[in-house]
Amino acid sequence: MPTTNTDLIDRYLHAVKFWLPKAQQADIVAEIGEDLQSLVEEREAALGHTLDEDDVAVILKKRGSPLKVASSYLPQQRLINPAMLPVYRLVLKIVLCWVFVPLFAFVFLGPVLAFAHPGEMLLRCLVEYWRAAFMTVGMVTTVFALLDRYQVKFKHADDWNPRKLPRVPGTQDTMTRWNHLAGFIFGFAAAAFWVSLMWQRSEFAFSGGTRLILGPVWKQIYWPVLGLTLTGAFFDLLSSLSPRWTRVRSRVRIGIDVCGLVIVAALLKAGNFVEISGGNFSAADLANKVAWINGMIDWTVIAAGVITIFDAAGATRFLLRGKRAKPAAIPSAM
Amino acid sequence: MHTNTASSELFDNLRLELRRGCLVVAVLAQLYTEHYGYALRKALGDQGLAIDENTLYPLLRRLESQGLLVSQWREEEKRNKRFYRLSPLGEEVLPDLLEEWRQMTAALERILGGRGIASAAECGGPRKEEK
Repeated sequence: MPTTNTDLIDRYLHAVKFWLPKAQQADIVAEIGEDLQSLVEEREAALGHTLDEDDVAVILKKRGSPLKVASSYLPQQRLINPAMLPVYRLVLKIVLCWVFVPLFAFVFLGPVLAFAHPGEMLLRCLVEYWRAAFMTVGMVTTVFALLDRYQVKFKHADDWNPRKLPRVPGTQDTMTRWNHLAGFIFGFAAAAFWVSLMWQRSEFAFSGGTRLILGPVWKQIYWPVLGLTLTGAFFDLLSSLSPRWTRVRSRVRIGIDVCGLVIVAALLKAGNFVEISGGNFSAADLANKVAWINGMIDWTVIAAGVITIFDAAGATRFLLRGKRAKPAAIPSAM
Repeated sequence: MHTNTASSELFDNLRLELRRGCLVVAVLAQLYTEHYGYALRKALGDQGLAIDENTLYPLLRRLESQGLLVSQWREEEKRNKRFYRLSPLGEEVLPDLLEEWRQMTAALERILGGRGIASAAECGGPRKEEK
């Protein structure tokens, strides 16, 4: 064979070798080289003359690029086992949509609303948010990739009971789900509003120099109210994901209501919610205004307490009756 | 144009899937007798089953790593060649695989025969149900 042909094949084999795993390089390259030599010899025998460089180039071109040839020898790798993809997508969805977004919205939006320069703070938060989002996706993906890499098998994947499959959701379930979702959104919005309104606040200043000075009770109930509102919101979120979780839901709802009533009681006991200072009011006028505002807050708190009692009573009644919604009729397979 | 390309790609993918299992059976069956890579490819091609080098050699390595084939480098006609043949495990597995293959082709023939599809030309679309 002419030197140029051997040179071309050698260069081709060298390029293939580059992409192969070290342990298999020599073996694979020797086999490809032998195959190419056999092919060249056969063509030369058929044509009755040696192949020139162009002919060999055509053969090599037909064989495919060195990268393509080498990749056909490499194991077909995947990051995540296709069998695990539905679980991976579900976990990502839960982490990103149901935990990550609300959590970060709370962590970041609160300071954004309370910060003196919300635009600057928002920009900073968005940068952090995306960094955290990429890290979260990366971590979830890494965990699933490792599960696939080490061939972790889920023992209970085949150990399932048809009787324990979740019921087909009926219209009532769908409505309950939306109700809870709405509860979560409103609860979360309420928490954000509470943070923006009351974060390290001791007074409200109005035009004309009038200042509404908050009583010390507001500072005392700031964190309990925030904690309770968020607990309720996240509980609604969980309930929207699992609307059939009724008995547990009732118990937790009663617990939240009891805590709410403790806060209501603390507010009512404190009584003196606000004072007014500044402004051009006479002493009597000022006293009337303070009494009116405190009275309004008093009635609002009482109303909130009554609603809470009704809510707790409903949950208690449900729990005592052991009421469960009737399962939806399963359509018969016709 | 776009539809033609898409359907062509789809056909290529389906063809690839269809061939994948057939090639394993063909290669194992052919290696009842010892062959080196190039000769095996020629033998399969001569019998109507052309196989790309980039498919055959990785397949041979995979079957060898699964213990179905054994290989040996040996000099022939002044060149080192790698000869493959069925391993004892391959000889044990192949008859079962061929039986499975026969059952599948028989079932497929029945399905195609039952629908009156005797040739590719008749595969233009599903037949209308007879009243």
